[in-house]
Amino acid sequence: MSKPKIAIYKMSSCAGCQLEILNFEPMLLDLLGAVDLSYFVMAKRENEEGPYDIGLVEGAITCGEEISRLKKARQQCRMLVAFGSCACYGGLPSIKNWTSEREIEERVYPQPHLLESTTAYGIDHYVTVDAYLKGCPASREELLEFVKGVLLGIKPYLRPHSVCVECKLHENVCLFTSQGKVCMGPVTTAGCGALCPANNKPCEGCRGPANDANTESLARTFDEYGLHRSDVVRLFRKFAGMTPEFSRGAEVL
Amino acid sequence: MSVPVMKVTEMKWPALSLLDKDGIAEFAENLAERYLVFGPVAKGSEYVFAPVGKGEVLELNYHTTILPPKKLLHQPFEVLFSFHEDGIQENIVEQPKQIIFGIHPCDVHAIQILDKAYSVEYEDPYYMNKRKNTLIIALNCSEPAETCFCQSLGTGPFLKDGYDLLLTDIGEAYLVEVGSEAGMELVEAVNLRPAARVALVEKQKVYENARRKFRKRLLTQGLHELLESNFRHPIWEKLKEECLACGSCTMVCPTCFCYNVVDKLDLSLKSGKRTREWDSCMLLEYAQVALGHNFRKDRDARVKQRIYHKLLYYEPQFGTLGCVGCGRCIKTCVKKIDITDVVSRIRGE
Ligand code: SF4
Ligand code: SF4
Ligand code: SF4
Ligand code: SF4
Ligand code: SF4
Repeated sequence: MSKPKIAIYKMSSCAGCQLEILNFEPMLLDLLGAVDLSYFVMAKRENEEGPYDIGLVEGAITCGEEISRLKKARQQCRMLVAFGSCACYGGLPSIKNWTSEREIEERVYPQPHLLESTTAYGIDHYVTVDAYLKGCPASREELLEFVKGVLLGIKPYLRPHSVCVECKLHENVCLFTSQGKVCMGPVTTAGCGALCPANNKPCEGCRGPANDANTESLARTFDEYGLHRSDVVRLFRKFAGMTPEFSRGAEVL
Repeated sequence: MSVPVMKVTEMKWPALSLLDKDGIAEFAENLAERYLVFGPVAKGSEYVFAPVGKGEVLELNYHTTILPPKKLLHQPFEVLFSFHEDGIQENIVEQPKQIIFGIHPCDVHAIQILDKAYSVEYEDPYYMNKRKNTLIIALNCSEPAETCFCQSLGTGPFLKDGYDLLLTDIGEAYLVEVGSEAGMELVEAVNLRPAARVALVEKQKVYENARRKFRKRLLTQGLHELLESNFRHPIWEKLKEECLACGSCTMVCPTCFCYNVVDKLDLSLKSGKRTREWDSCMLLEYAQVALGHNFRKDRDARVKQRIYHKLLYYEPQFGTLGCVGCGRCIKTCVKKIDITDVVSRIRGE
């Protein structure tokens, strides 16, 4: 396969996932040897027109203008990738989804009548998605695995299981069972190297539900640990409250 | 039950010696000059096996470690070989001699099970290379932790064999017994104080005392029939609701031997490494095959698999139960799912 052309689109997001690509320094040159970053507005002035082989979409979809840009991106790209948890599930922007648009708009903007904001969704609410690179921010290692998979025409190995697996493989002290701090690790997808527990912070669930996330059971344990119902709801809605798994966890108590 | 030591007249390695408690660090440092020495050291509120010698404080009063010492023989992540366009390059390097210091009886038993798993049908060169270069300085348990139940399984709290040296805390010092030629050499090299045979009476007392401290047990009588006839017990449905499928219980188990093989390619796509890492039957993807069919899609099937593997399926293959009663899976489970409790609930206790 010749060098695939990559396009990077930004929707409602903090741009942290795109920044991960630029922060890639040791690998960036190698990556550029293997792919063309044809459309990357954050990084370069001259950008090529489509079509592209791979489109990485960063951000949640939160207004009509984004819906049309997303649909156009889908037409322009052979493969479309949800890049980061916002694009996968709605991510942090989706915390607004349990409040009316009017209230949210008024709280943030001086002239809310200029806005037409909609419920924050991941991109697969509107278009077909070929791959999901989870995380807040997305993991550069996983992006690289994905690119290699495309170049070879094979399915990349992206961890589907819980953060606990990686946490144990690195022999971290379990914050949950040893220190009584509640942790989302048991139901959250690994792939981050159990970054937070390794730094003594419980997992916040930023990568969304693992492949067999038993969130109802975990929510009951949060309750036993003395968490208020509203705290449990917040934990499950912080990054992926729109997924069926995390929404069950938020609603079970 | 009598103390599991050989009669003095039968002892192949006659020397009984004493190691003063404040001499432990020096003893370990001395060994570290000739071997890679791994022993229990503190990590936050827990313990891990880590290199000892320079500076690291050996904590021989540890209850248990997060990961079992299995990690020193079958590593959580391991590169098997590198490959490139012209062929492969093995990663079996000359293994420096290592000592596992202060390993508890349950974990020694677990290594004996792994020895069979990795050698009986197919020899695993990666494991065996490390195993052949490993000496075991075991430590009998005088203070079982609240999750321990080795006593029910005959794998502790004291060890009968499988060690090069065996330490027992008899109060003012450690009694040191020798279990192999290599162990004899270790003792000779460091000039330990000889112990009088009466020290064995002290050891017996410590043993009797330790035996009384167990709070958990797993009754093995009729266990096979019990499990075989309760494949459809309602408990499995309950555990399906409870279990998070997080995989922690198997990740910490000293006798689990499953692994996944993953190729890590360089971006050139022309070279890479074949690696392996620990895998777990508690994970959804474990029993998934090509084209997506999954033989153990339901969580109850996976909970059952782990417990049946440990308590039923190991025996015909390895001649022993697959659980050594270390209690790690109990301690680590967020949902407090307890293998001893599962068995007693099936028994209707
Ligand atoms: S700290 Fe969290 S992620 Fe790590 S093992 Fe414990 S529950 Fe799992
Ligand atoms: S540990 Fe949890 S919150 Fe932290 S990076 Fe990983 S998935 Fe995200
Ligand atoms: S540690 Fe507990 S919750 Fe996690 S997979 Fe094992 S039994 Fe299930
Ligand atoms: S099943 Fe549990 S108690 Fe038994 S050896 Fe494994 S971790 Fe230890
Ligand atoms: S099948 Fe499960 S319980 Fe058995 S060795 Fe493998 S991971 Fe451990």
